[in-house]
Amino acid sequence: MDRQSDTKAIEELLQQYDIEVSINQSNAEIKVSHERLIEVSTLLKNNLSFEILMDVIAVDYLTYGDVDWKTNNATSTGYSRAVKPTIIPDIDETFKDRFAVFYQLLSVSNNQRLTMKVFTTESNPPSVPSLVDIWSSADWFEREAFDLMGIHFDGHPDLRRILTDYGFIGHPFRKDFPTNGNLEVVYDEEKEEVVYQPVSISTRPGVPRVIRDRND
Amino acid sequence: MGLETDNDLIDQQGPGFIITSVDKLVNWARTGSMWPVTFGLACCAVEMMHAGASRYDTDRFGVFFRPSPRQSDVMIVAGTLVNKMAPALRKVYDQMAEPKWVISMGSCANGGGYYHHSYSVVRGCDQIIPVDIYVPGCPPTSEALINGIIELQEKIKKEESIANG
Repeated sequence: MDRQSDTKAIEELLQQYDIEVSINQSNAEIKVSHERLIEVSTLLKNNLSFEILMDVIAVDYLTYGDVDWKTNNATSTGYSRAVKPTIIPDIDETFKDRFAVFYQLLSVSNNQRLTMKVFTTESNPPSVPSLVDIWSSADWFEREAFDLMGIHFDGHPDLRRILTDYGFIGHPFRKDFPTNGNLEVVYDEEKEEVVYQPVSISTRPGVPRVIRDRND
Repeated sequence: MGLETDNDLIDQQGPGFIITSVDKLVNWARTGSMWPVTFGLACCAVEMMHAGASRYDTDRFGVFFRPSPRQSDVMIVAGTLVNKMAPALRKVYDQMAEPKWVISMGSCANGGGYYHHSYSVVRGCDQIIPVDIYVPGCPPTSEALINGIIELQEKIKKEESIANG
Protein backbone atom coordinates (compact mmCIF):
# COMPACT_ATOMS: atom_id res chain seq x y z
CA MET A 1 0.00 0.00 0.00
CA ASP A 2 1.53 3.32 -0.97
CA ARG A 3 1.30 6.40 1.15
CA GLN A 4 -0.96 8.34 -1.20
CA SER A 5 -3.84 5.90 -0.93
CA ASP A 6 -3.33 5.79 2.83
CA THR A 7 -3.83 9.53 3.04
CA LYS A 8 -7.05 9.05 1.11
CA ALA A 9 -8.25 6.59 3.71
CA ILE A 10 -7.58 9.14 6.46
CA GLU A 11 -9.31 11.87 4.48
CA GLU A 12 -12.37 9.73 3.91
CA LEU A 13 -12.55 8.78 7.55
CA LEU A 14 -12.22 12.34 8.81
CA GLN A 15 -14.43 13.96 6.16
CA GLN A 16 -17.36 14.17 8.59
CA TYR A 17 -15.27 16.37 10.94
CA ASP A 18 -14.08 18.68 8.15
CA ILE A 19 -10.42 17.85 8.92
CA GLU A 20 -7.88 18.31 6.16
CA VAL A 21 -4.86 16.07 5.77
CA SER A 22 -1.60 17.80 4.88
CA ILE A 23 1.71 16.19 4.01
CA ASN A 24 4.81 17.12 5.97
CA GLN A 25 8.10 15.34 5.22
CA SER A 26 6.05 12.69 3.36
CA ASN A 27 4.03 11.97 6.48
CA ALA A 28 0.39 12.81 7.03
CA GLU A 29 -0.51 15.58 9.46
CA ILE A 30 -3.91 16.60 10.77
CA LYS A 31 -5.13 19.40 13.01
CA VAL A 32 -7.79 18.43 15.52
CA SER A 33 -9.73 20.57 17.98
CA HIS A 34 -9.44 19.52 21.62
CA GLU A 35 -13.20 18.91 21.82
CA ARG A 36 -12.99 16.19 19.19
CA LEU A 37 -9.64 14.68 20.16
CA ILE A 38 -11.02 11.59 21.92
CA GLU A 39 -13.52 10.91 19.15
CA VAL A 40 -10.97 11.25 16.33
CA SER A 41 -8.32 9.25 18.18
CA THR A 42 -10.71 6.37 18.78
CA LEU A 43 -11.63 6.34 15.08
CA LEU A 44 -7.99 6.41 14.00
CA LYS A 45 -7.11 3.52 16.26
CA ASN A 46 -10.12 1.33 15.51
CA ASN A 47 -10.71 2.04 11.81
CA LEU A 48 -7.22 2.82 10.49
CA SER A 49 -5.28 0.65 12.96
CA PHE A 50 -2.95 3.29 14.38
CA GLU A 51 -2.00 0.92 17.16
CA ILE A 52 0.89 2.82 18.71
CA LEU A 53 1.27 6.29 20.17
CA MET A 54 4.98 6.90 19.66
CA ASP A 55 5.38 10.27 21.34
CA VAL A 56 3.58 13.27 22.78
CA ILE A 57 5.17 16.67 22.18
CA ALA A 58 4.15 19.96 23.78
CA VAL A 59 5.01 23.27 22.14
CA ASP A 60 4.98 26.80 23.59
CA TYR A 61 4.26 29.39 20.89
CA LEU A 62 4.83 32.41 23.18
CA THR A 63 7.82 33.85 21.31
CA TYR A 64 7.19 32.04 18.04
CA GLY A 65 8.66 34.13 15.21
CA ASP A 66 9.67 36.98 17.56
CA VAL A 67 13.40 36.35 17.85
CA ASP A 68 15.53 38.18 15.32
CA TRP A 69 17.69 35.65 13.51
CA LYS A 70 18.97 38.05 10.85
CA THR A 71 22.70 37.62 11.17
CA ASN A 72 24.03 38.99 7.88
CA ASN A 73 26.15 41.70 9.52
CA ALA A 74 27.45 39.37 12.20
CA THR A 75 30.85 38.97 10.60
CA SER A 76 31.62 42.69 10.66
CA THR A 77 30.80 43.04 14.35
CA GLY A 78 32.79 40.00 15.41
CA TYR A 79 32.58 37.76 18.42
CA SER A 80 31.11 40.35 20.78
CA ARG A 81 27.79 40.24 18.98
CA ALA A 82 25.05 38.65 20.94
CA VAL A 83 21.33 38.80 20.29
CA LYS A 84 19.68 40.87 22.99
CA PRO A 85 17.66 38.74 25.36
CA THR A 86 14.05 38.85 24.28
CA ILE A 87 11.78 40.55 26.76
CA ILE A 88 9.24 37.93 27.65
CA PRO A 89 5.73 39.39 27.77
CA ASP A 90 3.78 39.18 31.00
CA ILE A 91 1.81 36.04 31.49
CA ASP A 92 -1.72 36.46 30.23
CA GLU A 93 -4.61 35.07 32.13
CA THR A 94 -5.66 33.24 29.01
CA PHE A 95 -3.48 31.16 26.74
CA LYS A 96 -4.90 31.92 23.33
CA ASP A 97 -2.98 30.06 20.60
CA ARG A 98 -0.07 29.50 22.95
CA PHE A 99 0.24 25.81 23.71
CA ALA A 100 -0.13 22.94 21.28
CA VAL A 101 0.25 19.21 21.75
CA PHE A 102 1.49 16.95 18.98
CA TYR A 103 0.73 13.24 18.93
CA GLN A 104 2.89 10.95 16.80
CA LEU A 105 0.94 7.88 15.77
CA LEU A 106 2.28 4.75 14.11
CA SER A 107 0.39 2.05 12.31
CA VAL A 108 2.56 -1.04 12.14
CA SER A 109 0.08 -2.98 10.02
CA ASN A 110 -0.14 -0.18 7.40
CA ASN A 111 3.45 1.02 7.73
CA GLN A 112 2.26 4.58 8.18
CA ARG A 113 2.76 7.50 10.52
CA LEU A 114 0.40 10.33 11.39
CA THR A 115 0.88 13.54 13.35
CA MET A 116 -2.06 15.02 15.23
CA LYS A 117 -1.79 18.66 16.23
CA VAL A 118 -4.08 19.89 18.98
CA PHE A 119 -4.22 23.37 20.51
CA THR A 120 -5.04 23.44 24.21
CA THR A 121 -7.94 25.25 25.80
CA GLU A 122 -7.41 28.96 26.44
CA SER A 123 -8.13 28.57 30.14
CA ASN A 124 -5.52 28.67 32.90
CA PRO A 125 -4.21 25.98 33.27
CA PRO A 126 -4.33 25.01 29.59
CA SER A 127 -5.78 21.56 29.09
CA VAL A 128 -6.52 18.84 26.57
CA PRO A 129 -8.28 15.52 27.10
CA SER A 130 -6.07 12.62 28.15
CA LEU A 131 -5.55 9.75 25.71
CA VAL A 132 -4.50 7.20 28.33
CA ASP A 133 -7.70 5.21 27.83
CA ILE A 134 -6.99 4.85 24.11
CA TRP A 135 -3.19 4.43 24.08
CA SER A 136 -1.79 3.50 27.49
CA SER A 137 1.68 4.74 26.42
CA ALA A 138 0.27 8.25 26.77
CA ASP A 139 0.53 7.93 30.57
CA TRP A 140 4.15 8.98 31.12
CA PHE A 141 4.30 11.16 27.99
CA GLU A 142 1.44 13.26 29.36
CA ARG A 143 3.03 13.40 32.79
CA GLU A 144 6.21 14.73 31.17
CA ALA A 145 4.29 17.35 29.19
CA PHE A 146 2.49 18.38 32.36
CA ASP A 147 5.74 18.58 34.32
CA LEU A 148 7.71 20.64 31.81
CA MET A 149 4.96 22.68 30.09
CA GLY A 150 2.16 22.78 32.64
CA ILE A 151 -0.47 21.38 30.32
CA HIS A 152 -3.25 19.55 32.15
CA PHE A 153 -4.54 16.34 30.62
CA ASP A 154 -8.17 15.93 31.69
CA GLY A 155 -8.97 12.39 32.75
CA HIS A 156 -5.37 11.32 33.35
CA PRO A 157 -5.35 8.77 36.21
CA ASP A 158 -2.14 10.01 37.89
CA LEU A 159 -1.03 13.44 36.70
CA ARG A 160 2.11 13.99 38.80
CA ARG A 161 5.47 15.52 37.99
CA ILE A 162 7.83 12.94 36.52
CA LEU A 163 11.27 14.56 36.01
CA THR A 164 11.82 17.72 38.03
CA ASP A 165 12.85 17.94 41.69
CA TYR A 166 10.46 17.10 44.52
CA GLY A 167 8.47 20.24 45.33
CA PHE A 168 9.61 22.01 42.16
CA ILE A 169 7.65 25.16 41.35
CA GLY A 170 6.99 26.21 37.76
CA HIS A 171 7.19 24.53 34.38
CA PRO A 172 10.75 24.86 33.01
CA PHE A 173 10.06 24.42 29.29
CA ARG A 174 7.70 27.38 29.16
CA LYS A 175 9.26 30.33 27.37
CA ASP A 176 8.67 32.64 30.34
CA PHE A 177 10.57 30.38 32.75
CA PRO A 178 14.09 31.69 33.52
CA THR A 179 16.78 29.34 32.16
CA ASN A 180 18.75 29.55 35.41
CA GLY A 181 15.72 28.59 37.45
CA ASN A 182 14.72 30.19 40.73
CA LEU A 183 16.38 27.94 43.33
CA GLU A 184 19.71 26.17 43.72
CA VAL A 185 20.87 23.64 46.29
CA VAL A 186 23.84 23.91 48.67
CA TYR A 187 24.93 22.05 51.79
CA ASP A 188 24.30 23.95 55.02
CA GLU A 189 27.10 23.17 57.49
CA GLU A 190 25.07 24.32 60.52
CA LYS A 191 21.85 22.53 59.70
CA GLU A 192 23.85 19.57 58.36
CA GLU A 193 21.51 19.11 55.43
CA VAL A 194 21.13 20.09 51.80
CA VAL A 195 19.09 23.30 51.60
CA TYR A 196 17.57 25.46 48.85
CA GLN A 197 18.55 29.07 48.29
CA PRO A 198 17.75 31.68 45.62
CA VAL A 199 19.81 31.18 42.48
CA SER A 200 23.16 33.02 42.60
CA ILE A 201 24.01 33.43 38.90
CA SER A 202 22.50 35.78 36.34
CA THR A 203 20.91 34.97 33.02
CA ARG A 204 22.71 35.29 29.73
CA PRO A 205 21.49 35.25 26.14
CA GLY A 206 21.00 31.69 25.03
CA VAL A 207 21.65 32.13 21.33
CA PRO A 208 24.78 31.57 19.24
CA ARG A 209 27.26 34.46 19.35
CA VAL A 210 28.26 34.41 15.71
CA ILE A 211 26.51 33.00 12.69
CA ARG A 212 28.57 33.54 9.55
CA ASP A 213 27.57 33.62 5.95
CA ARG A 214 28.54 30.76 3.71
CA ASN A 215 30.91 32.91 1.63
CA ASP A 216 33.34 33.58 4.53
CA MET B 1 55.97 3.32 50.18
CA GLY B 2 57.23 5.54 52.96
CA LEU B 3 59.17 2.69 54.48
CA GLU B 4 62.83 3.31 55.19
CA THR B 5 65.57 1.00 56.18
CA ASP B 6 68.12 2.16 58.72
CA ASN B 7 71.45 0.71 57.74
CA ASP B 8 72.99 1.43 61.13
CA LEU B 9 70.27 -0.50 62.88
CA ILE B 10 70.59 -3.39 60.46
CA ASP B 11 74.32 -3.40 61.05
CA GLN B 12 73.84 -3.57 64.83
CA GLN B 13 70.94 -6.01 65.00
CA GLY B 14 71.33 -7.97 61.80
CA PRO B 15 68.84 -8.07 58.91
CA GLY B 16 65.07 -8.32 59.43
CA PHE B 17 64.27 -4.86 60.81
CA ILE B 18 62.48 -2.03 59.05
CA ILE B 19 61.73 1.16 60.87
CA THR B 20 59.26 3.86 59.86
CA SER B 21 57.00 6.45 61.41
CA VAL B 22 53.47 5.39 62.35
CA ASP B 23 52.07 8.12 60.09
CA LYS B 24 53.89 6.78 57.09
CA LEU B 25 52.84 3.22 57.83
CA VAL B 26 49.20 4.23 58.21
CA ASN B 27 49.27 6.34 55.04
CA TRP B 28 50.96 3.52 53.13
CA ALA B 29 48.17 1.18 54.19
CA ARG B 30 45.50 3.71 53.25
CA THR B 31 46.89 4.47 49.82
CA GLY B 32 47.28 0.77 49.13
CA SER B 33 43.58 -0.01 49.44
CA MET B 34 41.37 2.89 48.46
CA TRP B 35 37.98 1.39 47.88
CA PRO B 36 35.75 3.85 46.03
CA VAL B 37 31.99 3.99 46.34
CA THR B 38 30.77 4.31 42.79
CA PHE B 39 28.63 7.37 42.20
CA GLY B 40 28.20 7.12 38.46
CA LEU B 41 25.73 9.80 37.37
CA ALA B 42 26.29 10.19 33.63
CA CYS B 43 28.68 9.42 30.76
CA CYS B 44 31.74 9.91 33.03
CA ALA B 45 30.67 6.71 34.74
CA VAL B 46 31.46 4.80 31.55
CA GLU B 47 35.06 6.08 31.65
CA MET B 48 35.16 5.14 35.32
CA MET B 49 34.05 1.62 34.38
CA HIS B 50 36.80 1.45 31.76
CA ALA B 51 39.32 2.46 34.41
CA GLY B 52 38.07 -0.35 36.61
CA ALA B 53 37.92 -2.97 33.87
CA SER B 54 40.68 -5.24 32.60
CA ARG B 55 42.52 -2.80 30.31
CA TYR B 56 43.40 -0.13 32.90
CA ASP B 57 42.63 -2.27 35.93
CA THR B 58 42.60 0.00 38.98
CA ASP B 59 42.90 -3.15 41.06
CA ARG B 60 46.67 -2.66 40.52
CA PHE B 61 46.45 0.29 42.90
CA GLY B 62 44.23 -1.54 45.35
CA VAL B 63 41.30 0.46 44.02
CA PHE B 64 38.38 -1.87 44.14
CA PHE B 65 34.82 -0.62 43.55
CA ARG B 66 32.36 -1.22 46.33
CA PRO B 67 28.60 -0.91 46.06
CA SER B 68 28.28 0.18 49.69
CA PRO B 69 29.39 3.47 51.29
CA ARG B 70 29.99 1.65 54.58
CA GLN B 71 32.94 -0.23 53.07
CA SER B 72 34.40 2.67 51.11
CA ASP B 73 37.21 5.19 51.59
CA VAL B 74 36.82 7.25 48.43
CA MET B 75 33.81 8.58 46.56
CA ILE B 76 34.21 9.15 42.83
CA VAL B 77 31.49 11.58 41.71
CA ALA B 78 31.33 10.75 38.02
CA GLY B 79 28.82 12.86 36.13
CA THR B 80 26.20 15.60 36.31
CA LEU B 81 24.87 16.18 39.79
CA VAL B 82 21.27 17.42 39.60
CA ASN B 83 19.31 19.14 42.34
CA LYS B 84 17.10 16.10 42.83
CA MET B 85 20.13 13.85 43.41
CA ALA B 86 22.03 16.24 45.74
CA PRO B 87 20.45 15.12 49.05
CA ALA B 88 21.07 11.47 48.10
CA LEU B 89 24.72 12.22 47.31
CA ARG B 90 25.20 13.91 50.68
CA LYS B 91 23.51 11.01 52.45
CA VAL B 92 25.81 8.48 50.82
CA TYR B 93 28.82 10.65 51.69
CA ASP B 94 27.69 10.89 55.32
CA GLN B 95 27.37 7.12 55.48
CA MET B 96 31.02 6.59 54.57
CA ALA B 97 33.37 5.80 57.42
CA GLU B 98 36.22 8.18 58.30
CA PRO B 99 38.75 8.78 56.88
CA LYS B 100 37.13 9.55 53.54
CA TRP B 101 38.08 11.36 50.37
CA VAL B 102 36.24 12.59 47.29
CA ILE B 103 37.33 12.65 43.66
CA SER B 104 35.22 14.92 41.47
CA MET B 105 35.33 13.57 37.93
CA GLY B 106 34.50 15.64 34.86
CA SER B 107 33.35 19.18 34.10
CA CYS B 108 29.82 18.71 35.41
CA ALA B 109 30.92 17.47 38.83
CA ASN B 110 33.69 20.08 38.98
CA GLY B 111 31.53 23.13 38.34
CA GLY B 112 28.34 22.35 36.49
CA GLY B 113 30.18 22.26 33.15
CA TYR B 114 27.94 22.27 30.13
CA TYR B 115 24.88 22.55 32.38
CA HIS B 116 26.19 25.40 34.53
CA HIS B 117 23.27 27.67 33.58
CA SER B 118 20.60 25.03 33.97
CA TYR B 119 17.66 25.27 36.34
CA SER B 120 18.16 21.74 37.63
CA VAL B 121 21.92 21.15 37.95
CA VAL B 122 24.19 21.73 40.95
CA ARG B 123 27.04 24.06 39.95
CA GLY B 124 29.77 21.75 41.16
CA CYS B 125 29.49 18.86 43.59
CA ASP B 126 31.70 20.85 46.02
CA GLN B 127 28.51 22.78 46.83
CA ILE B 128 27.32 19.61 48.53
CA ILE B 129 30.43 17.67 49.70
CA PRO B 130 34.10 18.58 50.27
CA VAL B 131 36.25 17.56 47.29
CA ASP B 132 39.91 16.47 47.41
CA ILE B 133 40.80 15.98 43.74
CA TYR B 134 39.24 17.54 40.64
CA VAL B 135 39.73 15.59 37.41
CA PRO B 136 39.06 17.86 34.39
CA GLY B 137 37.63 16.67 31.09
CA CYS B 138 34.33 16.04 29.38
CA PRO B 139 34.50 13.19 30.02
CA PRO B 140 38.02 12.68 31.40
CA THR B 141 39.75 9.66 29.91
CA SER B 142 40.33 6.59 32.02
CA GLU B 143 44.00 7.55 32.15
CA ALA B 144 43.02 10.95 33.56
CA LEU B 145 40.95 9.32 36.26
CA ILE B 146 43.83 7.01 37.15
CA ASN B 147 46.08 10.06 37.32
CA GLY B 148 43.55 11.58 39.70
CA ILE B 149 43.67 8.46 41.85
CA ILE B 150 47.49 8.60 41.95
CA GLU B 151 47.32 12.31 42.84
CA LEU B 152 44.98 11.42 45.69
CA GLN B 153 47.46 8.79 46.86
CA GLU B 154 50.18 11.44 46.88
CA LYS B 155 47.90 13.71 48.86
CA ILE B 156 47.13 11.03 51.43
CA LYS B 157 50.85 10.29 51.83
CA LYS B 158 51.35 13.88 53.07
CA GLU B 159 48.68 13.59 55.76
CA GLU B 160 49.70 13.52 59.41
CA SER B 161 46.83 11.71 61.01
CA ILE B 162 48.61 10.83 64.28
CA ALA B 163 49.92 14.34 64.92
CA ASN B 164 46.46 15.77 64.32
CA GLY B 165 45.01 13.36 66.85
